[in-house]
Amino acid sequence: MKIIGEKINGTRKRVARAIAERDEAYIKDLAAKQAEAGSNWLDVNAGTHPDKEPDDLIWLIENIQDVVETPLCLDSANPAALNVAIKAVKKTPMINSISGEPDRLEKILPIVAEHGCEVIALAMDDKKIPETTEKRLEIIDKVIAATRAADVPDDKVYVDPLVMTIATANQSAVIAYETIRAVHEQYPDVHFTMGLSNISFGLPVRKQINRAFLSLAMQNGLDSAILDPLDKELMAAIVTTNLLLGRDKHCLNYIRASRKGLFG
Amino acid sequence: MSQELVNAITEMREEDALKITNELLDDGTSPLDILNACKEAMDVIGKRFETGEAFIPELILAGEMMTAVSDVIKPRLAEEATSEKLGKVVIGTVEGDIHDIAKDIVAFMMDLNGFEVTDLGVDVPAAKFVEAVKETGATIVGLSGFLTLAFDPMKETVAALRDADLGVKIMIGGGQIDEQIREYTKADAYGRDAMAAVALAKEWMKE
Repeated sequence: MKIIGEKINGTRKRVARAIAERDEAYIKDLAAKQAEAGSNWLDVNAGTHPDKEPDDLIWLIENIQDVVETPLCLDSANPAALNVAIKAVKKTPMINSISGEPDRLEKILPIVAEHGCEVIALAMDDKKIPETTEKRLEIIDKVIAATRAADVPDDKVYVDPLVMTIATANQSAVIAYETIRAVHEQYPDVHFTMGLSNISFGLPVRKQINRAFLSLAMQNGLDSAILDPLDKELMAAIVTTNLLLGRDKHCLNYIRASRKGLFG
Repeated sequence: MSQELVNAITEMREEDALKITNELLDDGTSPLDILNACKEAMDVIGKRFETGEAFIPELILAGEMMTAVSDVIKPRLAEEATSEKLGKVVIGTVEGDIHDIAKDIVAFMMDLNGFEVTDLGVDVPAAKFVEAVKETGATIVGLSGFLTLAFDPMKETVAALRDADLGVKIMIGGGQIDEQIREYTKADAYGRDAMAAVALAKEWMKE
């Protein structure tokens, strides 16, 4: 189960302030903590106006790379910003994201192909978000046809099955699991990822929902997630779920995590 | 008796709400009184949502119950007994953005508070906003957007509405909206949440 650390995201107020004020210490601290907590990638999202985005992204990247060696996940829908940012990275990054939107495929896929990046692929296009598993699979068919045509290996693709808020779409978790299973059946080498917080928007005790959702999704084939690696309970849920999925020989990871104090 | 109806709705008991509605009608209660009981219930639910005691699915269920009760009453109404509307609002998520839940809540709360709301949905081009205002005669426009990519479409939509000289007041809302963004888009105001949106709209109607 791979982890994409989500905290360096300019859509969060505190991070936005740090970016605006060029607060290096804050960003470096977030990067170091997330890396230490076991992130396999650090998501980097400037969250600023497209005019400022390239500069902000570069500033973020330079400061993060100053303190950690963790590969980055460049999070932007703006191809111009991605093109600028990718010049500043030390290690081949993951790109967040492409989708069935023709514009995005056209402009961002070439960047992915050229640099050999991993890429997150959203199961949506420029129309309404597909409500059924079948429709999402149709879009993924299109996207993977495009990634294959661009010589991007299937195992560099991380499909996001789309997580809709369960408060307004009662079966949204079930549809997410079904989508993962359906895509996996068609494309066995493809990976999966998703953010966890959408599911619980508008309901009380969100962390509880996010945690259980993660465990259930792992059982259905989710092999990576965009989450807060500093959330001990969430990280504990991963270790525990892996144990219960028979992935922890002699239960050693679980026992070690317990000794390290991961379970509070 | 109609207090029972209010309770059934505020307690999310859909079957009871319909049962009581029919009983009230059979007893000769005026459809208008029943609608007022519904409105009272919705006010309670709306306030609970504002204070964080009730949640989105309950808002949605309340809306569904309201519709179900209205459907039962409609055939018995001599004429449309809608209470006088405070004003007309056009709302939508701007072009390039498809986030809708918060917008839906604002639309719902505005409707609850007596506004006639036309919800244009998501990914709405500026021209469509202009058209909707012309068609409905709305004097208030609400622009929603969650992504930072929404700022420019908001700016364009505001410009288009001003150019068409429609005399509307425009509010914006969504992710990371603040005074700086409001200034950038040249909107009249921004609201942090549905409560703020309703308060703004009410104030504007007084002007």
